[in-house]
Amino acid sequence: MQEYILLMVGAALVNNVILARFLGLCSFMGVTTRVDTAIGMGLATTFVITVSSMANWGVEHYLLVPYGLGYLRTVTFILVIAGAVQFTEMTVRKVSPPLFQMLGIYLPLITTNCAVLGVALLLVEGKMTFIAATLFAFASSLGYSLVMVIFAGLRERLALAEVPRLFAGPPIGFIVASLLALAFLGFSGISTT
Amino acid sequence: MPADVFAPENPADPLQPELIKGLARVVAVTGNLAWLEPEQTTSCGGCAASGLCGAKGIGTAASRLEFRRFPMVNEMQLVVGERIVVGVDGRALLKASGTAYAIPLVIMLGAGALAQWIAGSDGITMITMVAGLAIGLLAARWGAHRLGARGQLAPRFLRRAGFGETCPID
Repeated sequence: MQEYILLMVGAALVNNVILARFLGLCSFMGVTTRVDTAIGMGLATTFVITVSSMANWGVEHYLLVPYGLGYLRTVTFILVIAGAVQFTEMTVRKVSPPLFQMLGIYLPLITTNCAVLGVALLLVEGKMTFIAATLFAFASSLGYSLVMVIFAGLRERLALAEVPRLFAGPPIGFIVASLLALAFLGFSGISTT
Repeated sequence: MPADVFAPENPADPLQPELIKGLARVVAVTGNLAWLEPEQTTSCGGCAASGLCGAKGIGTAASRLEFRRFPMVNEMQLVVGERIVVGVDGRALLKASGTAYAIPLVIMLGAGALAQWIAGSDGITMITMVAGLAIGLLAARWGAHRLGARGQLAPRFLRRAGFGETCPID
């Protein structure tokens, strides 16, 4: 149990997807102007990363490794992720059409979010069991969502602050992101090995 | 009149809840209803550049966007091809996201953790998690039904979109 907790803490905080691995930066800057949308994006991405990582683990262990198709890994994972996104979309549509219409208005594409592919490739690198891989993917996406929400909160405050014209918008956003990354660097003091 | 028909809202109303905005295009007008198709956004929020950078990619074919069409009372005399800005209540969006994604995920992970604890086998855990996901989706359906019954999932007309206006995610 302790092993799983350390794995999750490590994935969410110490090796945060955005601030330590620099994945998913496009959505980090693009969808964090409001906390509401950041939470929505975080939840959707968490779902997709977890489900696609489970599927990718199965594909890796029952298809790619036994048949020596490792060189097709990246292409296969992209297809699996695209499939997971479509599955999510279809399922939400079937579960509740009004919900689908509402989410469809704002929900950006997650297929092209590199964090989803990055986490899947990290799982292969880590040679994890199924449950460890699932928890790692879930914790990584929780870390992603956490940073998205924190950054969105900071940007909401920044919108009210008097920022020099040259720094207004993305420049001050990048400066704040770097400070946030420094703050998260403090978690590297936690030993997760 | 269909159940999910949404009346336009007065944008000048100071009591109106904080809205998350999106762009939609009028694709058909039938009677007093305008059928709207939301414009696809990208994860980077760079809608204007999405046609160039390839971020529009998979799953944005016109046929898929058709599924997202929704009706709205056409009090503003909208015509086919017109682009408008619609809004959804921020709090309702959070509830909707939680219902659609968090409930199935939590139930799936809970089932997986339980299976791993009891059986300790990857195969059994996988099967249990898939079953948990199915149960979670049923629970999400029930939750969405409750939200829909309260009328919290209705997008609202805010204004006509300006020429060249893109991606008002804010």
